[in-house]
Amino acid sequence: MDAAHIRNFSIIAHIDHGKTTLSDRLLQRTGTVADRDMEAQHLDAMDLEKERGITIKAHPVTMYYKAKNGETYELNLIDTPGHVDFAYEVSRSLSACEGALLIVDAAQGVEAQTVANVNLAMKQGLTIIPVINKIDLPHANIPQARQQLEDVLAISADEAVLASAKEGIGIDEILEAIVARVPAPTPSGANSFQALIFDSYFDTYKGVVILVRVTQGELKAGMQVKLLHSGRTVEIKEVGSFNPKPYVRQRLEVGETGYITANIKTPREVKVGDTITDPRNPSTELPGFQEIHPMVFSGIYPINTADFEQLKQSIAKLQLNDSALTFQTESSAALGFGFRCGFLGLLHMEIVQERLRREFDLDIIATYPSVVYKVRKTDGIEVEIDNPAFMPDVTYIDAVFEPIVKAFVICPGENIGDMMSLISEKRGTIRTTETLDIRRVMLVCKIPMNEILIDFHDRIKSITRGYGSMDYEPEGYEESDMVKLDMMVNGEVMDAFSSLVHRSKAEARGRTLAAKLKEVIPRQQFQVAIQAAIGGKFVARETVSAIRKDVTAKCYGGDISRKRKLLEKQKEGKKRMKAIGSVDIPQDAFIEVLKTS
Amino acid sequence: MRSGTDPVRHLYVHVPFCAHKCDYCAFYSAPPSGDQVNRYVDAVVRELELVAPRCRPETIFFGGGTPSLLTLKQWETLLEAMRRLNLLGAREFSVECNPATVSADKAKLLRSAGVTRISMGVQSLDPSLLERLGRIHTREMVFRSLDILRGAGFDGVSIDLMFAIPGQTMDLWQRTLDEALALGTDHLSCYEVIYEEDTPLFEQLAAGEFDVDEDLACAQYDALVDRAGEAGFRQYEVANWARDVRMGAPALPKEQVEELPRFACRHNVAYWRGKDFFGCGPSASEYVDGLRSRNWANTNLYCDQLDKGRRAKEFAEALGPLARAGELAAFGLRMNAGWPFAEFKERTGFDLREEWADDLAMLEKCGWGERLEDRFRLTRLGLRFADSAAERVLRPDAKPENRLVLEPV
Repeated sequence: MDAAHIRNFSIIAHIDHGKTTLSDRLLQRTGTVADRDMEAQHLDAMDLEKERGITIKAHPVTMYYKAKNGETYELNLIDTPGHVDFAYEVSRSLSACEGALLIVDAAQGVEAQTVANVNLAMKQGLTIIPVINKIDLPHANIPQARQQLEDVLAISADEAVLASAKEGIGIDEILEAIVARVPAPTPSGANSFQALIFDSYFDTYKGVVILVRVTQGELKAGMQVKLLHSGRTVEIKEVGSFNPKPYVRQRLEVGETGYITANIKTPREVKVGDTITDPRNPSTELPGFQEIHPMVFSGIYPINTADFEQLKQSIAKLQLNDSALTFQTESSAALGFGFRCGFLGLLHMEIVQERLRREFDLDIIATYPSVVYKVRKTDGIEVEIDNPAFMPDVTYIDAVFEPIVKAFVICPGENIGDMMSLISEKRGTIRTTETLDIRRVMLVCKIPMNEILIDFHDRIKSITRGYGSMDYEPEGYEESDMVKLDMMVNGEVMDAFSSLVHRSKAEARGRTLAAKLKEVIPRQQFQVAIQAAIGGKFVARETVSAIRKDVTAKCYGGDISRKRKLLEKQKEGKKRMKAIGSVDIPQDAFIEVLKTS
Repeated sequence: MRSGTDPVRHLYVHVPFCAHKCDYCAFYSAPPSGDQVNRYVDAVVRELELVAPRCRPETIFFGGGTPSLLTLKQWETLLEAMRRLNLLGAREFSVECNPATVSADKAKLLRSAGVTRISMGVQSLDPSLLERLGRIHTREMVFRSLDILRGAGFDGVSIDLMFAIPGQTMDLWQRTLDEALALGTDHLSCYEVIYEEDTPLFEQLAAGEFDVDEDLACAQYDALVDRAGEAGFRQYEVANWARDVRMGAPALPKEQVEELPRFACRHNVAYWRGKDFFGCGPSASEYVDGLRSRNWANTNLYCDQLDKGRRAKEFAEALGPLARAGELAAFGLRMNAGWPFAEFKERTGFDLREEWADDLAMLEKCGWGERLEDRFRLTRLGLRFADSAAERVLRPDAKPENRLVLEPV
């Protein structure tokens, strides 16, 4: 297809605003998928994606559309991950496009996630076609949605297409707008052929399938190509596109999107954002490449220690299709052997944990998540710390820097007071407050990432009774007074509960944890002291009193069997206990506290 | 170790009837209904017939329920059958009695048939606590019963007491204890209230009607150990005390003091030391030739089986040698005398000092156990943690799946 008849676009939408339904309608209307093959949510392959209504992997679909002007266009829909945890992947997917459909729910209006993603698309210089969806709903408020487009996103409301993907209203108008408004791709003008890797996935038979956008020249099977950043040269085995199933094509020409395979077995060798070019005459690299760095870390441990190997294999399997996930073996006195895993963000972390539980049927426990801190030591050397256990001793620390995010919080106007106190409780500062409509305001604030790790999102939901939404983007590092909080039993540190906390919060958190631990640590034959310590100074203490007796008075012939079985069961239970110093603590107790803290 | 043809020396018979179920009791018992008791007596006689060829009892124990609830006539039937089956003549023959059900006729009959001990469920001498426990007798009945029993020639009477009863202050406990110790009986069993599921007491506790005061329970147990000792009783198990000489008689010369007090209940000692015993009657357990089994805890079902001429086993299990030895180690340590190394080896085939070396060392280290030249035993502190100690010395079965052998009904 000549470049003038190619349109590459993606869809930006908040969860439930109708992205998937619209994608399906486009596939149907262009005849890419026959009506009878239509299954709701065609593009979201994973159960979890369907359930959460989010896309984790990008899928490009090629459609052919005969426009009103009588000409046929190749429309490539590049479905991007819908969450800023995957901001880098989103940005790479977006850079494979010239345009984006921005879907706004006519009843709900603009949401926080929409703002974050539109910002990304605008930074990429994409042409944005606003679509006001769900206009068939009785409580649709089109004028308000238009107003928000203008006020919040600075997008001209005149350009908005009115649609109802569910009812099939406005689908032709959207397709015509794509043809008319999204610019045709232009060759990069590089000295030799060149393509952008915007995603990849693992296929058991073909190895790594690399998703590409050709920016110069063309790609064909049999060509030798070089992956600039990973430095590998490979031979293309197959090129093709998706409809939405993969199908083989002769070639991918400039401006087109599709896939190539090259017998690559290790997904980590294929880096999103990398440039594919001619090994003998390499082009310049495409802009925007970054190595992916996990932002959030957490230990994942099997609840049953015998599952360690299985957990290892399962995480490795997940990593095949999720190269952003990192892991390495670590051990904890309390939890045994497990893995320190790195994630792009909170959602990514939740998804991985959820998939391990669901798809691999594993019982796992995750330790308190940690962000990546930068520590400048007194000798001037700067180190990155993603595990509180490796925090240098205070005497060697010159300064600690913690990651900061810019958060967009949208909430009903009546909750603004509560929301502001929540943000300030989370050590955040509000930058701007904007009225979105008569009901809602948007707060843009700066907030330490460590504060939004645990319950920030849940608290917003509960304050606003479900109406609030939040999204964030990373915004560098700031110096911060972080301290290491250790929990100890009878003087021994329980590593699973160590965390880095802001000094202002350390004492309260120490007290809460100590009280929770007191509830779950069984009484022993001696007194057990639970202490919270900050750099050797105790800030909280709870005591579990000693058990004074353990004997059943009556034990005769008829009681022996029953009694023995009871004691055997207890003994079996104690095998699963972890000894911290001389204190036996059932693993369940750790899990209970980790779950609720 | 025993062979499969040696006679079994200990016999337990369960009488599953109570006039009224006490609030703490989880044993199998039901109120008697005329015909059913007769049917039970016939069935238990039939069961005794089945075990008699292997049974030459040195000790017999009738427990319940309330054995004294059987009528004179029913007792006559039972004892006559036992005479016919050559089961009488045991060195020790105990019958449990409720103070409200003791009559002079019955006492005389039992004594003449060779019953040597009466174990009386007194529980408390405080009227309000007796009511609290749901007992049907009064403190006056205790004294009257004791007179009746003595009149019938019973020197050997044991009384059961309970402590840590909800509402029982230290003062109330000491009053009952002192009064009981002064009664002149030669045996004492004292039990801390246990809260067993499916008992009214358990439900009251769960409903928060009272709290368990562990410190008070410990103090009451300590007072018991001290006072019983001062009154001439020797503790020989977690919950059991007995005299070496009758009250008022001069103490035994030191060289005549044996491992067990003279009036200790040998039948119970047989349990803790892992001897074989037959168990007859509904819900009764037995251990014979390496097989532990239990009868149905349902009187009708029990009688149905015996009507058909077979024993009414609900389940049976056989432990592997090490698991069985672990069980013996665990339960034998409940006795103050602990385990003589030689006897343990003879009974189980294992050496306590080898297989359990780590456990014994640990018990010694925390002050719960002590090693003497010929034996290992728990200390006074250790007896208070006898379940923890037991849990430590139990040994898993190599093939736990072989443990449970369910017999067809």
